Order: sequence, then C-alpha cells, then structure tokens
Amino acid sequence: MNQRPNEIKIETHGDIILLDIRGDVTAFSEPSLNSAYNSAKESSPKKIILKFEDAAYINSGGIAVLIQVLAQTRRNNQKIGITGLSEHFKKVFNMVGITKFATIYPTLQDALSAMAALS
Amino acid sequence: MLDDQTVELNLPSKFGYERIAIGGLAAFAKSVGFAPPRIEDLKTSVAEACTNAVQHGNKGKPEARVLVTAKFQDDVLWISVFDEGNGLKAELKDPDIDRIIENLDPPVGFGVFLMKRLMDNVEFDRTSNHLHEVRMMMKLKG
Repeated sequence: MNQRPNEIKIETHGDIILLDIRGDVTAFSEPSLNSAYNSAKESSPKKIILKFEDAAYINSGGIAVLIQVLAQTRRNNQKIGITGLSEHFKKVFNMVGITKFATIYPTLQDALSAMAALS
Repeated sequence: MLDDQTVELNLPSKFGYERIAIGGLAAFAKSVGFAPPRIEDLKTSVAEACTNAVQHGNKGKPEARVLVTAKFQDDVLWISVFDEGNGLKAELKDPDIDRIIENLDPPVGFGVFLMKRLMDNVEFDRTSNHLHEVRMMMKLKG
C-alpha cells in the first residue's frame, strides 16, 4: 500500500506564496515538501501559506516533516499560515505546538486576507 | 474470547496497512455509538500504534505481522496493537517543539505523545503470548 506522491502547486498571491499540498502528509512527504519549500524560497517570500486537503491523512511522521519545514521558515524569518485542516487536525497541531510557529486560518480566503495585512 | 463485540485484524508489517486498521476500527467505533470527533482521535491513535509497531517493534522484518484487536465491553472500547518487538526501553519524554525548531532535539516522539493525549488510557510494555502489546482504552461516555 504505497502512498501516492504529494502533488504541491505553488502559487503567488501578491507578497504571499501558497503551497497547495494535495494528498496525505506522512514521513514519505519529506522530499516533495522540501522540494516545494525550496522552490518557494527562491523568490525570498516573507509570507507562506500551507494549504492542506481537508480529508488528508496526517500522521506523526508528517508532523515531524512539517516541523522541520517550520524550522527553516523560522531561520528565514518567514511568517507561516496554515489552512485546509479538519477540526481534528487543528486540535492535533495545537497539541503538538505547531500553532506557536504558524497561524491556522479557517479558509484560504481568510489566510490570504489576514496575511496580506501583515507587514 | 471472540464474540460479536470483538474484532481482529492481522496485517502485514508495512507502512500503509495502518489505513486498513483505522478504517476497520472507525467503522466498529461508529457502530457502537462513538461520536465523530472521538472516532478521529481513535483513528490517529491506532495509526500511530500501527506505524510504531512496523518501525520500532517489527523493525522492518518482512515476515513479521501486526495484530490489531478491538473489544467493546461495558461502554469501553479496548484496542490492542501487537508486534514482535521488545517494547519501549524507557519512558519517552514528550517532544519539545521549541527545542526541535532550534535543532536541539530530533523531531521524534509525536506518535506516543498523541496516543497518550487522544485516548483515555494507554499502556505500553505489556506482553502477551511473546508479543509486545500496546493497549489503549476509550470510554463511550465522559
């Protein structure tokens, strides 16, 4: 039962880079997430939104990969928004402390509006 | 004893098969009356127990199996995940995200951390029939 590779679309919305992450997020997502982040980093964005599919399966391996991406964004002084999470994974991200380093928004539109207003 | 309130799943020790466990146990939990948010807690916990069994318990042995059992009794759902390993050697400390972000700690320990918080009780290091067992419990009420 192999996990299909994540498909990650990269979009620019003003000064925000959106990573639209399709598929489940597990330890096997590390190459695709790192590759997408490295591509996004080329334009030196100060604001990045990570959008997940609301039906995505996210496990602790995926959480570890995300935290490693957050560590890079912190070193690069980037603000991170997260959207597309189910209520369950909002709770899980809060439990593990991801919300100390990224803001969760209910919808993509909310994320884009709120982050556009950030300096 | 197997009865109509008990289910068993015998899975290959490979990543991905935990999805069969979470699908089966989610259906079982729904059938005995658990609400959707608790079923989501259960799915995450079962997935973490199964992937730990594959990675840390069976350590990639191709012939090893992961056995998952669930029993609903007296408004309590008991779930056991068995592997052929030796269990945790020591109490795992909770992951500290501040230290992980600063590269002071490795990004590990989230699976056990989530199981302990999402279930009503989790016991590690039980052994049964020469297998290592993680036993989790979720109450229907309260």
